[in-house]
Amino acid sequence: MSERLEKGLNVLRAEMDHKVKSFFSSCVHCGVCAESCLFYTETHDPRYTPIYKTEPLRKLWKKEYSFWGKLSSKLGISKPMTEADLADWEELVYDGCSMCGRCSMVCPVGVDISMVIFKVKHALAVAGFSPEGLVGATKRALEIGSPMGITMTTVRAMIKHVEEDTGLSVPMDVEGAEYMALLSSNEIALYPEYLEALVKIFDHAGVSWTLSSDAFEATNSGLQIGNKAIAGQLVQRVVDGAEKLKVKTVISPECGHAYTALRWEGPNFIGKAYPFRVVHILELLDELQSQGRIQTTGKETERLTFHDPCSIVRRGGIQAQPRNLLGPIAENFVEMADHGSMNWCCGGGGGVSSNERAEDLKLTAFNRKKSQIEETGAESVVTACSNCRMVMEEGLETNEMDIPMLGLTELIAEHLVEKRTD
Amino acid sequence: MVHLLQRHFSHCFTRPASIILLLLSLILPQLSSASVPQKHEGFPQGVSTINPGSELWREVRQRDLAVTGISQVKGVETGVLINSWGDQWARFRIENPVKYAPMVLGAVFLVLVLFYVMRGKVGIEGGLSGRMVKRFTDYERIVHWTLAIVFLFLAITGLILLLGRPLLIPLFGKEFFSLLASASKEGHNLFGPIFLVSLLMMLFSFVRRNIYEKGDLTWLLKGGGFIGDGHVSGGFFNMGEKTWYWIVILIGLAISISGLILVSPNFGQGRVVMEISHVVHVFGAIILTAVSIGHMFMGSIGTEGSLEGMKSGYVDINWVEAHHDRWAKECHENEQVISAEEYARLQGNKPDTAMEKGA
Amino acid sequence: MIEYLIDGPLWYFSLAVFCIGVLWQLASIVFARSKTDLSVARGSATGGAWRNVFSRFVPHHEIAPQIRVQVVAGYMFHLGLFALLFFAAPHILFLEENLLGFGWTPMPHWAFIVASQFAFLGLIILWLRRMLNSVSRLISTLDDHIAAILTFIVMLTGCLALLKGFTELRLLHRFTVELLLIYFPFSCLMHTFTFIPSRAFSGAWFGRRGIDA
Repeated sequence: MSERLEKGLNVLRAEMDHKVKSFFSSCVHCGVCAESCLFYTETHDPRYTPIYKTEPLRKLWKKEYSFWGKLSSKLGISKPMTEADLADWEELVYDGCSMCGRCSMVCPVGVDISMVIFKVKHALAVAGFSPEGLVGATKRALEIGSPMGITMTTVRAMIKHVEEDTGLSVPMDVEGAEYMALLSSNEIALYPEYLEALVKIFDHAGVSWTLSSDAFEATNSGLQIGNKAIAGQLVQRVVDGAEKLKVKTVISPECGHAYTALRWEGPNFIGKAYPFRVVHILELLDELQSQGRIQTTGKETERLTFHDPCSIVRRGGIQAQPRNLLGPIAENFVEMADHGSMNWCCGGGGGVSSNERAEDLKLTAFNRKKSQIEETGAESVVTACSNCRMVMEEGLETNEMDIPMLGLTELIAEHLVEKRTD
Repeated sequence: MVHLLQRHFSHCFTRPASIILLLLSLILPQLSSASVPQKHEGFPQGVSTINPGSELWREVRQRDLAVTGISQVKGVETGVLINSWGDQWARFRIENPVKYAPMVLGAVFLVLVLFYVMRGKVGIEGGLSGRMVKRFTDYERIVHWTLAIVFLFLAITGLILLLGRPLLIPLFGKEFFSLLASASKEGHNLFGPIFLVSLLMMLFSFVRRNIYEKGDLTWLLKGGGFIGDGHVSGGFFNMGEKTWYWIVILIGLAISISGLILVSPNFGQGRVVMEISHVVHVFGAIILTAVSIGHMFMGSIGTEGSLEGMKSGYVDINWVEAHHDRWAKECHENEQVISAEEYARLQGNKPDTAMEKGA
Repeated sequence: MIEYLIDGPLWYFSLAVFCIGVLWQLASIVFARSKTDLSVARGSATGGAWRNVFSRFVPHHEIAPQIRVQVVAGYMFHLGLFALLFFAAPHILFLEENLLGFGWTPMPHWAFIVASQFAFLGLIILWLRRMLNSVSRLISTLDDHIAAILTFIVMLTGCLALLKGFTELRLLHRFTVELLLIYFPFSCLMHTFTFIPSRAFSGAWFGRRGIDA
């Protein structure tokens, strides 16, 4: 048995918990999950059926934990698992799955298929069967501090621009601030307006906050590639930064998987609970709005719709907040037919957008989002995840659709009432 | 004789009637033997007398006219004590459906065997191309095979019930046959309504494309391609297929309705209604079974490329050109033809593995 | 001899394998290793678990049109089978005499027949779909097919023995039931029981995160 295969199988064995055992004994291969997955519905390739992506783990479960598997092994007629059992699934798991979790919502017997796929991803990552793009991103994240190779130099340059444009200062390394804000490399590179919006809103609402020079990066390449150890290392940087500055709450930015990595999986990756709270920026803005600390004026008049980022809404639980925030500033808001926790993925989550090999498949999958947008007749689409925004902009451009993508935080900042003097 | 009567009328026995019959059963054998002079060695010759009970018997037997009596059991025909038509019905059944069913079915088999031996499989000019067109959706194929399975079960159990006595009892013996017949009857009766539901599913999912249209008569006159140069134009469904569809639906409905009448005798059906239902049911079933054998043959080994349509839902474009050229034109216009690689992908066949690609 | 075996030792054996097997499989799930979630919960895990166990009976309306065949045929089969298993007179009598010592009011005979017809049609449609649809064909295992066919055979032998006049038919039915009981704990038929912990586990996960599942 090769070393790669052994490593992979050992991870699969470590992932065999009560849930996996229950899930595999419940699955009756009904195929309902396929109809929920945009990679299947837009390609009609049965191999993208969500439960099919869990085959490596299912084979191991069958072989080592089921009655027939154990009997076959004892009788010496069991087929051994091979490297191909892992390698052949790389494309399905990394290119053909954005970890959107829509399959987990529809399984009649309650299998959390997305969770099981992540376990397979973990095994593939440790065994070294991961796409080049993600391997590179993870390396850069570990060595440089950002998957896109962004350093504090770039961040400081961005901060300078923001301070010049707003006339406000961006706090850095302020010990004892209430909130520590994180940024995603995507936002720094493509949407610096996000930081500008944060600065304006926090000034308007009188929020005590800071950035950290040790821990500015929210994204987690470890999570995207599926390597839990690396994911934990990256989370630990944020925890160290927050502990050093003694902040009460860390703010996860408009980035889907960062929220999952920090808020929900982080404590499990590092093996201990945080001494601070973690909120998504939308949660904080919603809190501030309900406390009356955010006052807006004017409304967007064009027809707007909202794309629900999977990791934030469906897997993260933040569904009402974007609607609470859009309500006061959008006159002509229309929901997509399938919205909220049953909205469709943009196609680029879970590391797919960092995987060049998956480009064509990702654009094909985007056809689902394209039809959703066309159905609403929307003139602009609002979202709260920089990755979704980037993926959708690319998709819209490829399809020659002149529909701008708007970030929700920026939209709120544009409608702030002039700074309160009290 | 008395036992036959008892079996026929056990449902309408009342105490007075049974007493009368008991008396008759005691008297009649002696009377009947008394009316025929027996020649036994060592015994004195009998005296020929007119059977005193024959008048009564004639009336009871209702040989000359139908007499409906009064019975305490109220129901359809409960006032009829003896009905001699039952005997004629049994004879009719043995001499018609029971006799003709094996002949018709056997003849169909023979014709198909001869057809296959002499003509072979109906091939496609140029063979199969590998380029495919979607012909039937999942739902349409499910409906077809559900109806097929249920029909086959009903046909087999029905034939066991029909041909049991002449064919199967000599083969298996009475005891095993009675077990087989009981099982067949229960299965047949339970699956009957399931057939009706499946039939209605088929009616609604296929009716639109089975309406006769221009070009169908030409197809018929050319014998579906067997008369003339072998080329005949057809739409999505050719005239032969449409006709088979309507045979299935109409005869199937007739079989179903007559079957429902037969299986639930609690709604005031009299003997005549039951007999008519029986005739419709059994002759309809023989016709449907016979034609279905032809259909099964043509849809599988008889024609190259047909079965695939009902298995995966896709058919080869060359098959479409050969048999349904008008539909082929539409397929090309609507760009519905897919390559062999695309077809393999849609069936879930694995492309070259990562290992093979050298990853 | 065969009658003695089927009504006697094989019955007890199959019942034992079924009971011990099912309990063993469930225990191996419930007592398997499970890690505590160290993140701060937003909502109730228990509430989410209970909610999910029941809410999964109704498909999300966003996906319902695409899965009509599975839902309709699935319910026809499962409800029909449940009704005929537990509310058909011969079965109630069997349970009373052989297992429980008490019975309950059966449904009328015609309802028993109608329930079986639903169950048969549902199972035929489901199994055919499994064979004909490219997704199910790819992901189905031998276990799925054996379970479907064995269940069908049990139902069919039951139907054939309806007249109750032939011991051989009754024995054939009972024998196939015993085969099914033995096969049950080692097959996908365990979903009969494990769908509850599965829905509960994922429901708890959703509940913790405050997700509208």
